[in-house]
Amino acid sequence: MAAPPVAIEHGAVPPPRNRWRLRLLAALAVLPNFATLVVLLIVWQFASKVWLPRIDPQMAVLMPAPSTIAVTAAGMIASGELFYHLVASLKREAVAFLFAASAIPLGIMMGWWRLVHDQVNPIMEILRPIPPLAWIPLSILWFGIGDEQNEFIIFLGIFFPILVNTIVGVKNIDPILIRAARSLGASERRLLARIVFIGALPQIITGIRIGLGVGWMALVAAELVGASSGLGFVINDARSMLRTDIIVVGMLTIGLIGLLIDAAILALSRRLLPWSLAMRK
Amino acid sequence: MGRLAVSGVSKIYGDRHAADSVVALRDVTFEVPDNQFCSILGHSGCGKTTLLNIAAGFERATAGAVTVDGAPIDLPGWRNTMIFQEYALFPWMSVSDNIGFGLEMKGVSRKEREDITRHYIGLVGLEGFDSKLPYQLSGGMRQRVAIARALAVQPNLLLMDEPFAALDAQNRAFMQEELERIWQREPKTVLLVTHSIDEAIKLSDCIAVMTSRPGRIKEFVKVELPRPREEDDPSYIALKRRLRELIRDDFVSQ
Repeated sequence: MAAPPVAIEHGAVPPPRNRWRLRLLAALAVLPNFATLVVLLIVWQFASKVWLPRIDPQMAVLMPAPSTIAVTAAGMIASGELFYHLVASLKREAVAFLFAASAIPLGIMMGWWRLVHDQVNPIMEILRPIPPLAWIPLSILWFGIGDEQNEFIIFLGIFFPILVNTIVGVKNIDPILIRAARSLGASERRLLARIVFIGALPQIITGIRIGLGVGWMALVAAELVGASSGLGFVINDARSMLRTDIIVVGMLTIGLIGLLIDAAILALSRRLLPWSLAMRK
Repeated sequence: MGRLAVSGVSKIYGDRHAADSVVALRDVTFEVPDNQFCSILGHSGCGKTTLLNIAAGFERATAGAVTVDGAPIDLPGWRNTMIFQEYALFPWMSVSDNIGFGLEMKGVSRKEREDITRHYIGLVGLEGFDSKLPYQLSGGMRQRVAIARALAVQPNLLLMDEPFAALDAQNRAFMQEELERIWQREPKTVLLVTHSIDEAIKLSDCIAVMTSRPGRIKEFVKVELPRPREEDDPSYIALKRRLRELIRDDFVSQ
């Protein structure tokens, strides 16, 4: 007699209400890890508000207290100023990403056809080690100061990580899957779209994560020199007015948004590509 | 339809005049009538997988030809589809999408694809698992999906490369019975590569025993035992002994 097949359970999922409670407990459990941070903030607050003003009032300006920063941040959020510059930066990052996404088809072609790889790779290997920031002088002459110049610098930051990871992703696809698809009658075009692209997708997404991170760093640098809006502009502009509190708010925002972009892509890829995590185990 | 003819197939790796060229197959010739199940039995390295790869269109014969109903095989495709030892399921596709993949490549409409997919999910006993992803299935179940996926395209010739070698002994015996049941329900011309004498006897109408270096057909054995085949049947035992000796000779001469 044939026994009925049994599926392997992968981590039973508790009911939703229970799951939220578990998440809350997990969040509470990490609270003690912030003890040192809190102590540091208190020391910082004391130094900026009490100690530094007493010995040298000018020094106190260079070291805004956490409370001052919080008040400034609240003001900048309320006035919409922070949001305006954040959107300007995100828009540049997004436009640059759209252009940099051309690295995906290029990477697939380079990973798939040896001839393309051999022809294009030397060009890429010459361009890739040049830091995006080294392009700033030339890009200002090409595009002038403004969005295009900024986007070009960011584009360079995003493009190469995506390209390199796409090539690796294509080359790492299990060759048996290619054979299986061919044996089921897949044409070359279908093979590329349905097997090669999707098989490389986890690695492509890794490239996008790295690329957006590099791009975000390049963005701030590009805005420092060639923009009249954006988070990089905010912190550079505040420097000329000695508004250290605004500088720190801008810096924290840049860090936080970079973290959020990365976390969002990671969460998205976990949800959309559950199989890729299972394969890595 | 699917009369398989292997005629004078040789495969030489490397320059055939060079000293380091390897003769994998030499002048292999046999025929398998329509809807018969044929096994290629031999030790590893005897060229049986090379022969299968030629039949699948993955490799080219140096000389000779493999034909199905007179048409030579030169490219991989659904007409001569292959089932792999490692299952080779697409990890991002559900069970039904995996089974439907070949049909989609053939240009079968979505509606028809769903009907055919449902039929084969039933045939291999995977009802209720349609939307599972391969990593959520056991090895035996994955191989059922692979079998269903290959049958769904209605190949003229079905090739199997040690399909149950990755399974444990119990699962293997069970899957052999299942394969026989499925094949009896939907007969196909099958070419199965195995090194297991029992697997060959249980499943096959004919067995091509291969010897190595160079790979040749040592003997082409017709199996006329009634199905299902019982291991304690005296004629089963006699055939097993004969096949074992054919293979052992080769092992000793190596």
